[in-house]
Amino acid sequence: MDFSEVELTAEQQAFEKELRDLLDTNWTPDYAHISLDHDRAPDAVRTGMVERGWIHPHFAPDAGGAGLGEIEQQIISSLFEEFYMASPGGNDLLIPTLDKHGSEWLKANVLPGLRTGELSTCLGYSEPDSGSDMAAAKTRAVRDGDMWTINGQKMWTTGAHHADYVFLLARTGPIEEKHRTLTMFLVPMNLPGVQATPIWILGGGRTNVTFYTDVEVSDDYRIGGVNDGWSVMSTPLATEHGAGVVTEGVTPVNGSMGQSFSRTFAKLIDGAIDWAASRKDAEGRSRLEDPLVRMALAEAMLDLEMCWNAAGELGKPMAAEALATNADRLADMAAPEGILDFGVDGKIAAGIIASQRLHSPGTAIYGGTTEIYRNNLARRLGLPRPY
Amino acid sequence: MTTTLRRNDYTLSDEQDQLVAMLRSLFSEKSPISVVRDAEPLGFDAQLWATVRDNGLLTISVPAEAGGDGGGLIELVLTGIEIGRTAAPVPLLDHVVALRTLARLKDEGVELAEGSWESALAGETILSLAPISSWELGAELVPSGALAKSVLAFKDGSVILMTREGLAEQAPNEGCTPVAWWDPTDASVSVTTLLSGDQAAELWELTRREWRIATAASLVGILAMAGEIARAYSVERQAFGVRIAQFQAISHDLVDMHMDELTSRNMTLKAAWLTEHEPDFRPELAAMAMAQATRSVLRSTAKAVHVHGGMGITLEADISLFYRKAAAWALVGGGTRRDLEEISKAVDRRAIERTRWHETHELAKR
Ligand SMILES: Cc1cc2nc3c(=O)[nH]c(=O)nc-3n(C[C@H](O)[C@H](O)[C@H](O)COP(=O)(O)OP(=O)(O)OC[C@H]3O[C@@H](n4cnc5c(N)ncnc54)[C@H](O)[C@@H]3O)c2cc1C
Repeated sequence: MDFSEVELTAEQQAFEKELRDLLDTNWTPDYAHISLDHDRAPDAVRTGMVERGWIHPHFAPDAGGAGLGEIEQQIISSLFEEFYMASPGGNDLLIPTLDKHGSEWLKANVLPGLRTGELSTCLGYSEPDSGSDMAAAKTRAVRDGDMWTINGQKMWTTGAHHADYVFLLARTGPIEEKHRTLTMFLVPMNLPGVQATPIWILGGGRTNVTFYTDVEVSDDYRIGGVNDGWSVMSTPLATEHGAGVVTEGVTPVNGSMGQSFSRTFAKLIDGAIDWAASRKDAEGRSRLEDPLVRMALAEAMLDLEMCWNAAGELGKPMAAEALATNADRLADMAAPEGILDFGVDGKIAAGIIASQRLHSPGTAIYGGTTEIYRNNLARRLGLPRPY
Repeated sequence: MTTTLRRNDYTLSDEQDQLVAMLRSLFSEKSPISVVRDAEPLGFDAQLWATVRDNGLLTISVPAEAGGDGGGLIELVLTGIEIGRTAAPVPLLDHVVALRTLARLKDEGVELAEGSWESALAGETILSLAPISSWELGAELVPSGALAKSVLAFKDGSVILMTREGLAEQAPNEGCTPVAWWDPTDASVSVTTLLSGDQAAELWELTRREWRIATAASLVGILAMAGEIARAYSVERQAFGVRIAQFQAISHDLVDMHMDELTSRNMTLKAAWLTEHEPDFRPELAAMAMAQATRSVLRSTAKAVHVHGGMGITLEADISLFYRKAAAWALVGGGTRRDLEEISKAVDRRAIERTRWHETHELAKR
């Protein structure tokens, strides 16, 4: 057990300074960028990070990274948090899958760019008629010699409008056979017949509908065996869910998305504290001294600490629900100003509470709903499948 | 500004794992539910007390200089968890927290009554403390107060020791926990002032923190056992031709109980480690661990009862016993409002950090 402070080495301090300068030069902290799984860091910052191998800093320098460790990764997270900046966007979920299942062609031509982060990807699992039940996907890939023709529609293809490739779940046999007739592809987004149109969500984020109309793609873009898609996608899916996260170092134990929701939650509290510090009651006392305000903030801080202590897969449902509950709590605490939007006179900490209250229901849906998480967690507790 | 990072390592050492294994077998053997029931209504089993003493559990977390084994808060937490798992009817946690505070006082040169330290260390007399004493005037309910010869408290800026000749009478309660009213103005109670001034306030603050951590640990144990009992029932009991665990309304509650247990456990271990190694860093963590364990144990034991249907509320069901213990053990320290009051001091600390942030960073106009 160890919760002590990490003494940064001279190199780590220099690393922090270099990153800090990069962010300082290219970015002014923006409260509108506090969650945001649906946004990404500005190009200048991304490019600067790609050049330095910092998108996946833990990879070796000749494998697109910078040979850095967990500490540097946490410095990156911590500075992005300090600067209210959306993630630079990496391909962590897919690189191990391509390493293992990718064709030689993909490994030679696409993987290097994914490793540096110069190329980016989006996930094409969900469809209009299938979300939680991913194995009901209908988007079809039909083979003709060395080529495949893809037709169908994906929903919620987040980041599709920036991405170079979509990791696409396609049907390659009778749909009745569910997960036994699925195949994965890495489809270039710039191919004829691929189209992304925006879906705007609560809180101002963007995701997309993507359409695939007679998209012709060579067999080189297939990942794993034909009809092996279910097992190919299981690894990135489990990683996204935060399964098996065991850290003994500095990385928070809360897995995957729960970590980013917790960081968002921390900013929500900070915004509420900023609000309280800026307001006075009728007697001229700071709202920070108001016992009711203090109680609401204390409860929010307690919930945040709880989220940081929720390990692995527990992290996501816990953080999603705590974020929603506390966005309500803090909007209520700061009522009536708690409802005001960005850019409005009298807004709270630039509208942070209202925008996060709007954003929070989505956190219980994307990346797997809280019900699906609980189904998975129940199985890990040895309980039988739902009937 | 510069970044500070901290480690997040919750793993137990091999020795700590061995301690848990030893405690697990000791308490499951010596404190089965029949012993717990037989110890009611007082909530004390003298034979079990002798067993824990003979196994060295009273001295494990007492400093070596004071005659203990030099273990720390983590060992106390691990003990507390096992006590909670079996609802063991012994006042070990209150006693050891009081011993640790008395050891600090001795270290400061405070004189204790002749022989009183030795008999407490040997478990011949029982000590406790009055966790809410700094808020209350006059009489107050004291955990293990019906067993204790002496009780530490904080009154008018001083750490005091209240001692009585006979034992105080238990205040009857559904949890059958040995609480009793103690009143420093009572004629049968003699009061010694042990320490005054800033030092006293600091010492009391540390005592409160350790008590919160130890008590939270016992609640983590209750959470763990309530979860095990409920899960076992859910795969055994059938309704509509299926095991009730196959209903999501049941299994999702079981998952939530598990989340309550694990977060409470991690928060308690983290608070214990930091209180021991860096008491000035985030002093609110002990109150957070206690508040989390309290709210968790209340809602999760209620869910565990519910999973059992009608059986859950019968007095003979094991789960109803844990439901009774949960509130009694969780609330004797004054409840979560007092924890939240402590936590709210962190708001002021964060407000200062926010000021520093605003001095360093401009903010994009919106
Ligand atoms: C903002 C956003 C971004 C997203 N980004 C992506 C992306 O990049 N790529 C991608 O492929 N997908 C993405 N998704 C899709 C997301 O993964 C799905 O929305 C999610 O899996 C739920 O599917 P659904 O919306 O079809 O809801 P449904 O599956 O129709 O579920 C509706 C409700 O029923 C419940 N339910 C369903 N099945 C069960 C069950 N077995 N037990 C109990 N309850 C159940 C759900 O929990 C939910 O409350 C995104 C979604 C959103 C909202």
